[in-house]
Amino acid sequence: MTTRPTKSLGGPIRKSGVAVVLLVAAVWSISGLDVSLSRLASAPGDAWAIVRFMFPPDFSGEIERGVIGKVLESVYIAWTGTIIAATLSLPLAFLAATNIAPPWLRVPVRQLFNAIRAVPELIVAVVLLAVTGLGPWAGALAIGLHSVGTLGKLSTEAIESIDQGPIEAVESTGGGWTSRMRWGVLPQVLPTVISYWLFRFEINVRASAVLGMIGAGGIGSELVQQLNFRNFDAVGAVLIVTVVVVIAIDTLSAAVRRRIIAGTSRSSRSGSRDATALSDLTGIKIG
Amino acid sequence: MTAVSTRPTKPKPRPIGFVIAGAIVGFTIFAAAKVGFTLTTVINLGNLPDNPLTDTIWDKGKVWSLFWPIPWDWVLDRHNVIDPLLETFQIAIISSIIGCSLALPISFAMSRLTAPNRPTYFVSKAVMNLIRAVPDLFWAKLLVVAIGVGAFAGAWALSIFSLAVMVKLFSETVDGADPRPLEAARAAGARHIPAVRTSVLPTVFPAYVAYALYVFELNIRASIVIGLVGAGGIGRVVEAQRSVFQYDRMLGILVIMFGVVIIIEQVSVAIRKRLV
Amino acid sequence: MIRLEDVSVTYRGGVQALKNINLTIDDGEFVVIVGLSGAGKSTLLRALNGLVPATEGSITIDGTEVVGASGAQLRAIRSKIGMIFQTFNLVNRTSVINNVLMGRLSAVSAWRSTFGLWPAADRELALQALERVSIVEKAYVRASDLSGGQQQRVGIARALAQDPSVMLADEPVAALDPITSRQVMGDLRRINQDLGITTLVNLHFLDLARDYGRRLIGLRDGELVFDGDIADATDETFTEIYGRAIASTDMLAETADD
Repeated sequence: MTTRPTKSLGGPIRKSGVAVVLLVAAVWSISGLDVSLSRLASAPGDAWAIVRFMFPPDFSGEIERGVIGKVLESVYIAWTGTIIAATLSLPLAFLAATNIAPPWLRVPVRQLFNAIRAVPELIVAVVLLAVTGLGPWAGALAIGLHSVGTLGKLSTEAIESIDQGPIEAVESTGGGWTSRMRWGVLPQVLPTVISYWLFRFEINVRASAVLGMIGAGGIGSELVQQLNFRNFDAVGAVLIVTVVVVIAIDTLSAAVRRRIIAGTSRSSRSGSRDATALSDLTGIKIG
Repeated sequence: MTAVSTRPTKPKPRPIGFVIAGAIVGFTIFAAAKVGFTLTTVINLGNLPDNPLTDTIWDKGKVWSLFWPIPWDWVLDRHNVIDPLLETFQIAIISSIIGCSLALPISFAMSRLTAPNRPTYFVSKAVMNLIRAVPDLFWAKLLVVAIGVGAFAGAWALSIFSLAVMVKLFSETVDGADPRPLEAARAAGARHIPAVRTSVLPTVFPAYVAYALYVFELNIRASIVIGLVGAGGIGRVVEAQRSVFQYDRMLGILVIMFGVVIIIEQVSVAIRKRLV
Repeated sequence: MIRLEDVSVTYRGGVQALKNINLTIDDGEFVVIVGLSGAGKSTLLRALNGLVPATEGSITIDGTEVVGASGAQLRAIRSKIGMIFQTFNLVNRTSVINNVLMGRLSAVSAWRSTFGLWPAADRELALQALERVSIVEKAYVRASDLSGGQQQRVGIARALAQDPSVMLADEPVAALDPITSRQVMGDLRRINQDLGITTLVNLHFLDLARDYGRRLIGLRDGELVFDGDIADATDETFTEIYGRAIASTDMLAETADD
């Protein structure tokens, strides 16, 4: 008769240890947040009160104030910023790829990407606005510069994961460096990279709405203004218009991205790369 | 091999390609102009729009002197930076916990694979899409107005932010999970939630934890940002310094933040390595 | 004429892929190279066009030294050497003719080739190359829409478009089914006979080697162990080249029905 193994205590101990740590952290955090039971109780009520005031949303008033134009301005800012980022990030990505650039070049460029990614675009915008004065183009520049970091990193990874075969083929016909890039690397990389650009555009639309709140043009300023005046019905209209535009752009962009990826060869690689790209673009790396 | 086979005629280049390319270029120029990036403004970058502040700044390169040197004595003073930084941590921790906890069931509800029924699936997907469509800082500002300035609102705002981001990522992992264990559990007669709990959760849990750690990282960075609209944390200090043009202090804070972010990132990566 | 004198290739990890190879190949010859995986077949071909630099010895092609050639010289040498690959190495997303035109890269200015503004004369060469492998009707079809055998023929056309004096084929049929393999080998033999292009083919199917080769070169562990007429190669020869008895996996088909 085989003896039954005893359940090891290691697992549960570790799990409860983690739970305790989380509990302690939570308690410490809450203590610092100026929370009282009364506040906790009233918070949802306060929030709900505002939501109620938002209906019916004051569309006509807002349209008179040019809300559509402002939302579009946010879109223009996001677009311009994304184009800037795309134009800068692709060449830089070539310089950062292990299969193309020598170490002395690619290490600094990769560090540059990391540094840029670490700084939230709002901060970049704040600095830029401070230095250049208010204006939507400062917002576009802030978005553009920040996106170079993420797009750069992703484009580099895309370049590094290509099949070396076509490059060898170009080499064997006597083609030089430009030809190798143009015919060997680019056709493989371009669909993926373009879909990254589009996804970044989706995120940048939200970012530019936010930048408006500190004066970089666009819908954000309108939101802040109406909130300050407590015109919640106008706020409601602003929110709804923003949400509609964001969802419209998201849907359009997703459709185009699917079309582009589908146009490539049916490798299963592109599917999983999409998922990792997605997570990385939302700002979250895994593994 | 007989006569030369007839060569195909070169297909006319489909106009759609050029139309799309033209539209994109056109839109870019249009958008850039609307934003102020016309050729003239770029060329005139030296002469910026009228603004008394910028006139003085650009005057004789005084820009740099506004940012440097960093007043370390002020920056390292406990009250000015360290305490708000702690507050930032607190906001980040609690929002990550709340957001990620909520994200777990919602992601399952939102995933084709594990949704208990179609209405739940559609409703949760629709609600999450709506939440994600509102820019994160809008949430923060709304909450600040509703609940009051301070870290409390910040925690709520970042909880929503964490929820949105976590759900986006995690539901994709759940979507891609192996459906067979779940099938087996259902075939054995298990009810839906226990089935999911035992057959899907263990596989996706490492990913969950990894994402949660990263969301925490994100929250640290995001807290600077929400502070700019008054939702507490170190961001409030940044905004306070910015509005009185104390850019040197602002830069000091940012440098510290940068260091903190990097440290946290390294720790987080190390933990995640041990998980996967 | 291709001449190798005391050629050795040692990879960076210390692996010596070719040891003291001495070889002379006259113009217009059709040479088949056999050997186990890792015997050095690929390395030998790639040493000829400099894709893999030889660590010792001298390689001359039509009098020009390959070993130690500069970037520009190497490109000039390569422009006269066409290469086809086991995995075809086509640009999948673009048309067949664009792929073939890549053979003209060394002849056309970088500006023109980058933007696809190929001169008419080069287009004509590309179409002729496609005609020679009987696939011109697919000229404007997307490369990835073709079958394996067709893709390899496009690869051959690309090499032909270079107007080469030498053709290197690195296991050109390893990824193809038996019937298509014979078609491609047939194309290579015909091109060699009609155009007089010196052809070197790496094969690992021995029956194909016997059916299509004229001169046989056997490599084992980086050394040249056989160099002679294919007619003189018996089963024992192959056993010696491989270092083991011949197996059915070394044959393309159990029965060779041509």
